[in-house]
Amino acid sequence: MSKQKPFPEYRRKLGPGWWLSNGHFTQYMIREWTSFFVAVFSLIYIYELSLFATGAKDSALALMRNPGIIAFNVLALLFTLYHAFTWFYLIGKVQPIRMGKTTSKPWQALLVNIVLLLIIFYAVIQILVLR
Amino acid sequence: MPKVARLHAILWGVFSMGGFIAAFLLPVLIYLVGIAYPLGLWPVANADPTSAILNHHHLGTLFLFVTVAGSLYHGIFRFQSTLTEIGLAPAKRALEAIGYLIIVVGILAVAYYLLLLNPNVLSLP
Repeated sequence: MSKQKPFPEYRRKLGPGWWLSNGHFTQYMIREWTSFFVAVFSLIYIYELSLFATGAKDSALALMRNPGIIAFNVLALLFTLYHAFTWFYLIGKVQPIRMGKTTSKPWQALLVNIVLLLIIFYAVIQILVLR
Repeated sequence: MPKVARLHAILWGVFSMGGFIAAFLLPVLIYLVGIAYPLGLWPVANADPTSAILNHHHLGTLFLFVTVAGSLYHGIFRFQSTLTEIGLAPAKRALEAIGYLIIVVGILAVAYYLLLLNPNVLSLP
């Protein structure tokens, strides 16, 4: 016996540009597109690792020095940081911490996590590159 | 919990971990290999950062694997979902299939190349 729904399901149809109608939606979509830069940088770096592993180190280094790749990397860093900072802010909004009578604010979570990011940034460089 | 729901929970859990990695570890990798090295900035000047990182056999290899594999998973997982939000929803299944294929092949490739570059990585430090 087929199971019938009591009411027809209504789904509002959205065009591909629905996110342009509202500033919050646009901001959301920019944040979603940061994933493009994260994914493409990862794929480019995997390709560079493949060149390193197969003995074509000079080609890998030449690829890193390509002006187009450098420009993409600058954009990728900016978008990655935008993704990170908006996430830090969201953490503070979704999970505020209660301390006595006061509750932490989102900007405080943002600040604490930026400091943590800087510590990790420096620690990785200090341990893996400078030592 | 149904099997599909459990699988979804695991996939979203890994995605969330990938987000943590993309936020805290990926910026330093992008800066080192993609900006500081080609532009001759601190701390690498003209030295190749990938070789410097791989010189720290276990820790360096682990850092590269976790950062690249985690970011790839996070980026592709979210990007295929983004494409469904801008009009490609009818191709959701195909996008998911392509996305997971790229993730699996990409992660296996990272592991393989890092093993080639550092064959002793599986031995204890």
